[in-house]
Amino acid sequence: MLNFILLIFIYIGIYAIAAMGLNLIVGYTGLLSLCQAGFLAIGAYTTAVLMTTFHMGFWESMIISGFIASLFGILIGIPTLRLKGDYLAIATLGFGEIVRNVILNWDSVTKGPMGINGIPGPSIFGTTLSSMDKPAWIVIIWIFVAATYYFIRRIIRSRVGRALEAIREDEIAASSMGINTAKYKIGAFTTGAFLAGIAGSLFAAFNQSVAPLTFDFMMSIMILCMAVLGGLGNSFATIVGAVIIVLASELPRLMGISHIIPPQLNQILFGLILVLMMIYRPQGIIGRIKLNYAKIVKEEISDLEK
Amino acid sequence: MNLFNIPSNELLQHLINGLTLGAIYSLIALGYTMVYGILKFINFAHGEILMAGTYAGYYFYYFLYDPSKGAAYTIGIFIAALVIAMIASAILGVVIEKVAYKPLRKAPRLAPLLSAIGVSIILANLAALFFGTKSKKFEYPFNNSSMDIGGSSITPNQLMILAVGLIMMAGLKLFVDRTRLGKAMRATSQNQPVAALMGINVNLIISLTFAIGSALAAVAGVLIALEYKVYPTMGTMAGLKAFIAAVVGGIGNISGAMLGGIILGLLETFGVVILGIPQGLKDTIAFSVLILILLLRPSGILMKNIREKV
Amino acid sequence: MKKLLAVLFSLMLLSFVACGKDSDVIESGKTIKIGFLGPMTGDAGNYGKLMSQSVKIAIEEFNAAGGAEGFNAELIVEDTEGKVEKGNPAIEKLAGVDKVFGIVGAVFSSVSLAVAPKAEAAKIVMISPSSTHKDLPGKGKFIFRDVMSDALQAVVFGKYLAKVDNVKTVAILYVKNDYSQGLAMDFKAQYEKEGGKVVAVETALQGDKDFKTQLTKIKGANPEALYVPNYVAEIAQILEQAKQLGLKTKIYSADGFSNPQIFELAGDLSNGVIYTQAAEQPASQNKINFEAKYQAKWGEKPDAFSLNAYDGAKIILNAIKETSSKGMSGVLKVDRDKVRDFVAKTKDYDGASGKITFTADGDLVANIGIYTVENKQFKQLKMFKLDGEKLAEIK
Repeated sequence: MLNFILLIFIYIGIYAIAAMGLNLIVGYTGLLSLCQAGFLAIGAYTTAVLMTTFHMGFWESMIISGFIASLFGILIGIPTLRLKGDYLAIATLGFGEIVRNVILNWDSVTKGPMGINGIPGPSIFGTTLSSMDKPAWIVIIWIFVAATYYFIRRIIRSRVGRALEAIREDEIAASSMGINTAKYKIGAFTTGAFLAGIAGSLFAAFNQSVAPLTFDFMMSIMILCMAVLGGLGNSFATIVGAVIIVLASELPRLMGISHIIPPQLNQILFGLILVLMMIYRPQGIIGRIKLNYAKIVKEEISDLEK
Repeated sequence: MNLFNIPSNELLQHLINGLTLGAIYSLIALGYTMVYGILKFINFAHGEILMAGTYAGYYFYYFLYDPSKGAAYTIGIFIAALVIAMIASAILGVVIEKVAYKPLRKAPRLAPLLSAIGVSIILANLAALFFGTKSKKFEYPFNNSSMDIGGSSITPNQLMILAVGLIMMAGLKLFVDRTRLGKAMRATSQNQPVAALMGINVNLIISLTFAIGSALAAVAGVLIALEYKVYPTMGTMAGLKAFIAAVVGGIGNISGAMLGGIILGLLETFGVVILGIPQGLKDTIAFSVLILILLLRPSGILMKNIREKV
Repeated sequence: MKKLLAVLFSLMLLSFVACGKDSDVIESGKTIKIGFLGPMTGDAGNYGKLMSQSVKIAIEEFNAAGGAEGFNAELIVEDTEGKVEKGNPAIEKLAGVDKVFGIVGAVFSSVSLAVAPKAEAAKIVMISPSSTHKDLPGKGKFIFRDVMSDALQAVVFGKYLAKVDNVKTVAILYVKNDYSQGLAMDFKAQYEKEGGKVVAVETALQGDKDFKTQLTKIKGANPEALYVPNYVAEIAQILEQAKQLGLKTKIYSADGFSNPQIFELAGDLSNGVIYTQAAEQPASQNKINFEAKYQAKWGEKPDAFSLNAYDGAKIILNAIKETSSKGMSGVLKVDRDKVRDFVAKTKDYDGASGKITFTADGDLVANIGIYTVENKQFKQLKMFKLDGEKLAEIK
């Protein structure tokens, strides 16, 4: 049982990283993106291919995966300059489907529908981790979660964060204040994609296998739900959202009733949680954190004066 | 004639295939775009409303189906099944709106979207639970042998889907543009509070929109079920594609939905044929072109690109 | 501090003891748990449902016959949705929480490959009823399958088409999933080796219902036969649309076609389709009995994979019964290694799907039947086995 709970918290950690990345795009910058699973897929497959075909180590592969995902982030970030609202959402949705479709059909590299198996675990202090070493995995993944949290916190509390927020609140006003909105929007996409790439890389190494069916539209939706359910524009809330969504989807197994109840009930429960949450707490469980800019700016000024 | 590298004898057939596939997307997109036009939100459960109505029609038809009673009887119960499917979908659509969307009219934009996704997950799984995951065959009420057009073939049902799509489009346009209710709908879509001040019952108009949009979905569902069978996820992927089609045409625009659907169908068919690559890549080609179209016309093909003013 | 150390030390000792023990113990009143791992929801949900129903019958029979030393078996069904990332928590739960002694599954090859190392590590015998991919055998001591591999099925069918049916040109239309693609690729390689010509290879996506574009292209290529190694929901659409487009070639398929649902979906169009399936003597009594039982209990007919699932469950249960023993205070001792060894020794087991023998890799040694449909009934035409490189007919 302990192993199973550890496993769930490993998944929560991986999703939380991707969801915090998405939160930067959706929550802080206000751009609706439906392709986080696509970035995750790019990260996961890059790691899988590098580690199996090119026999690279995990840590190098992970960094390369993050950067390749962020390259695609730039690619999809550019259209955001022209598209708004639902049109942007559809463009990103299309992009996510393209990624999956290409992975499915590029047999020579991705092994098509079979996916890639036998991905070695990461080696750390001279030992190679298998997916059985759950305590070690928990530590590694939650270090990444913490790092992501502080990384985003730093961005948000800086000039960049204020620019992103300004864009979300009123793009035209932001640009007339001299904010280069194009740069910041692409930047948000690139960073969000990078984080998803890292999450994908961890996903591939932990599961030791990747398959194209995994990274479907529903996965993007699930990650979006994590960000919204906790509270948009709040990284801590996003982690809470990830906990809730993953726990909810594994609840029958945790309670040991998964073999008694019809399998569909699990999904129905997930749907119900979504609907009820939106009706009763559309701002999320925790909600957005309103930063006290006066205080932050004052601190910065006093830092400068020193 | 040899356009690109398609043999000329195949060209017409591909064109027919693309048009009929596109007509299916259009049919679903019409209902989608109508709801969007009024409420400005993506009703992700549209595909599942379509599925639920189709099941209602299917079971009615299935229990009364008896080929020995002659063609007129079969067509009669088919039309009755169609009406029942429309009523079932309309009721479901209105109920869903009241329960899952209405409390969210003032919530952040993402809330109704996620609520709709929740509803669609619930409906698809309820269907799987009660009706099983098996595909069920919806028998053609008429003889559906294909007809020959210049060496290519088309079936009566495919023609019907095209025709129904065009009729629905024209009917919807007339309704929205020419009737009092249509005018009230347009007013509601432009500004709900002001419409209410003008004496329009906004709640009623929204319910009506959902009822009509959902009934249209049921028509699409039944016609599609004849081609592709009835199963719990029948509306999911087709609904998603139809929605994309509606956006490309210019969401909220009725002719745009029709046009977008046809374009998507033709893209899925011709995209890979022209390039001579396997059909498995059709989504890549179709979605790439769609993103390009959006980049060139950021508000869809038939919508004016309204510049945001301060 | 000393107390704490003592507690820690004894905990460590305990865990060593726990790790060191060879046999698991089931207390009296508890059940022997067996897992089923497969898609219960989603597009392939019906395949998982049919197979899990077979396992249920096997368990009921086991319990009715007195179980193992009076201990009953219990089935734990876990849904994978056909996805790798859902298969992982499912196997962890079966291994860690339920501590099952055997698993029938997984259904899809990609999922089986992903969960195999975990079943191996937990010493759970896993018999897949439907993972046909050639990479699965040899993944572990505890990993078996009682479905014939793509390689075998495709090799036999490639030879059959080229040599027995004398088909000179073939078009292939497959869906981009692990099952269809594996068969299509292996078939293509073998058929071309036998001198046949593949004039068109077309693909489709999982969940597609419209195959008219592919069929139009195939019609243009004018093949003698069309090979469609897919599941029935797709094959039914392909048959219907091929007729609409006036494509009049012979249609060949694989064991996915054996699902009786094809008759509801495609009706008379299914007549004349020729396909492969693992086989024993035409219509063995075991098969007839099981099919009747299945029909009576579930109100529908089993497909070929369900026969495999039934046999797999029986083999696991029988191994548990034969190797376990009563221990002190009425507990049942089950030795996972002994169960595995017993399963591995399976030879000429007379099951519903035919005679089952496992190779050293855990793969199935099978005879391949060539079947067709006449008047909406499956009918065996011929039966072959692979004798080295040659096809040998079994009469």
